[in-house]
Amino acid sequence: MKIANGKDFWAGLMFTAFGLGFMIIAQDYAMGTAVRMGPAYFPTALGGILAVLGGVILFRSFVSKIENPLKVFPFRWWAVVAGLILGAVAYYTQSLDKMGVTGEIAHTLLAGAAILLLFSAFGDRSLWVVLFSVVIFGYVLKPLGLVAAIVMLVFVSAWGGHEFKVKEAAIMSAVLAVFSVLSFVHGLGLPMNVWPSLWE
Amino acid sequence: MEAIIHNLGIGFGVALSIQNLLYCLLGVLLGTLIGVLPGIGPIATIAMLLPVTFTLNPTSALIMLAGIYYGAQYGGSTTAILVNIPGESSSVVTCLDGYQMARQGRAGPALGIAAIGSFFAGCVSTLIIALFAPPLAEVALKFGPAEYFSLMVLGLVAATVLAHGSLIKAIAMVIFGLLLGLVGTDVNSGVARFSFGISELSDGIGFVSVAMGVFGFAEIISNLEQKEKREIFTKKVTNLLPTLQDFKDSWGAILRGTMLGSALGILPGGGALLASFAAYTLEKKVSKNSANFGKGAIQGVAAPESANNAGAQTSFIPLLTLGIPSNPVMALMIGAMMIQGIAPGPQVMTERPQLFWGMIASMWIGNLMLVILNLPLIGMWIKLLTVPYRILYPSILVFCCIGVYSISNSPFDVMQTAVMGVVGYVFVKLECEPAPLILGFILGPLMEENLRRAMLLSRGDPLVFFQRPISLAMLCIATFLLFIVLAPAVRKKREEAFVEA
Repeated sequence: MKIANGKDFWAGLMFTAFGLGFMIIAQDYAMGTAVRMGPAYFPTALGGILAVLGGVILFRSFVSKIENPLKVFPFRWWAVVAGLILGAVAYYTQSLDKMGVTGEIAHTLLAGAAILLLFSAFGDRSLWVVLFSVVIFGYVLKPLGLVAAIVMLVFVSAWGGHEFKVKEAAIMSAVLAVFSVLSFVHGLGLPMNVWPSLWE
Repeated sequence: MEAIIHNLGIGFGVALSIQNLLYCLLGVLLGTLIGVLPGIGPIATIAMLLPVTFTLNPTSALIMLAGIYYGAQYGGSTTAILVNIPGESSSVVTCLDGYQMARQGRAGPALGIAAIGSFFAGCVSTLIIALFAPPLAEVALKFGPAEYFSLMVLGLVAATVLAHGSLIKAIAMVIFGLLLGLVGTDVNSGVARFSFGISELSDGIGFVSVAMGVFGFAEIISNLEQKEKREIFTKKVTNLLPTLQDFKDSWGAILRGTMLGSALGILPGGGALLASFAAYTLEKKVSKNSANFGKGAIQGVAAPESANNAGAQTSFIPLLTLGIPSNPVMALMIGAMMIQGIAPGPQVMTERPQLFWGMIASMWIGNLMLVILNLPLIGMWIKLLTVPYRILYPSILVFCCIGVYSISNSPFDVMQTAVMGVVGYVFVKLECEPAPLILGFILGPLMEENLRRAMLLSRGDPLVFFQRPISLAMLCIATFLLFIVLAPAVRKKREEAFVEA
């Protein structure tokens, strides 16, 4: 059989996988009865419905009259596998205490690479660059402060677009940093470091 | 009647305080701003501001957030008329005739009639809320768990029926949303469900993260994938006042748009978007010279613009009276209320009349501000349109990130939002409409809770949903809705309606 509608194919696959996933995980919890529903009751029912709906969508993708090639959605399975492997390594090595500074840096890089790979599995450059810039912001804000985090966010995300100009990004990050420090930290009083915490 | 005047009196007393006037102004200004700018909508903006509203008092916070929603309806039309890009999804149809008017050198009257129509619709729908909310809330007070469960089923079904594209995908998205909403600690047993041992997830997936990731980030990324091409009619905007003939042509359209918009806004699943689509289609049917539509007919601007504003405002009715969101923006308003420790539902009106009536009064004031602000300041908004997207989106990202981070001051929320961004991007690619997902997400825990209670009260007899009259009626309507959509004739019409626009 030939897949006619690639969008439906992937969507059906996604819904079925999530439905089954929720059902399987829910089996760890108590099912209860219809009178006293346990934590597993509702998710199991919903997961079942979702899996069935996913199945119907999947079936439809073979008989659909709408033609969509499979590659409309650039899903890269190798990036998912590689990302999961790196992620697992990062997860299980984080409990090793005596790593020292080099160990910590290596660990952070490993986790970062895993995230990047997982993001890049689902789309083109603008997807993973922009979202990775967001992740960087989140993890850099506390140790390096708001100003540094904004500069990094602006530069990386601007690089993710089509036209990147260093000068423009520099001006933008300066303006945004000043504005954010004034309005969010001083104006609204959000508890955030402005400068790297080592300086204080 | 007297009670309403008394209540509106309380409302204006609250809304006219200096502080609330300021927040209302801030809200409508922000709303217009993001309405004008394509690529950022009220959903992402409200999600962004949710953490900030924590520091405000509840009334001011809700007044501001509401202002963003209806303000965006005003701003969206400006972009639609001048650039032929909907600044807001609800002004998609305004592009059709508004842009043509601009090309004929009549951008001014188009903008003028859009603002006037919106203002008229705003006034009428404010009155409608004041009239209809109290009796509806009274009915809602009698609701038991079975009724609530059926009401949510109806709301979710309506949301899928009215969503774009494939019905079955929309239903799947609702279920997926419900499941995502269940992540976190189960209230009854204390079990942390689907949390994978991550302590942050035992509080559930953050609502702001889902909304901002799926609607904000995913939209930015898909915008980046398309090269921008804009043709702006900035110099041709002169003489904003429509002529007498324009008024004669469009007053009927404004009236019909307002009525249709108000009705559709109340429906679960309704709101500004649906209202504008329906109003345009209706106007085309009613008009004697429907051939003019798409070629700069002023009715084609007046009707949808009145309708989207009316719909935006009346969609507050189910939220304020039943505690049920009819669209993603209302889901966010529920989020805002919960942050403030207010349980949305019929009791809000009796327990917090200041908040309830203050918000309604502020809508009228906000609409007045919008007309006064928008017409003279139109030049400023147009200038904004010349800012290229490559400068805009990093700024949007910065504000989004600060907003998300400040929810709990941890990088986890930011990470979670990024992941939801990937998910949202995949949805866009696979043509799965995200609006039903977000409704399911907010209703998931509520639905489970009411299902449990109803089943406990009926001793496990599922027939309880069919034995109680209100509950039965709602389930019947839901089934009926599903059947009509599946009927071949209507199905074709529905596809046409969405394709046309």
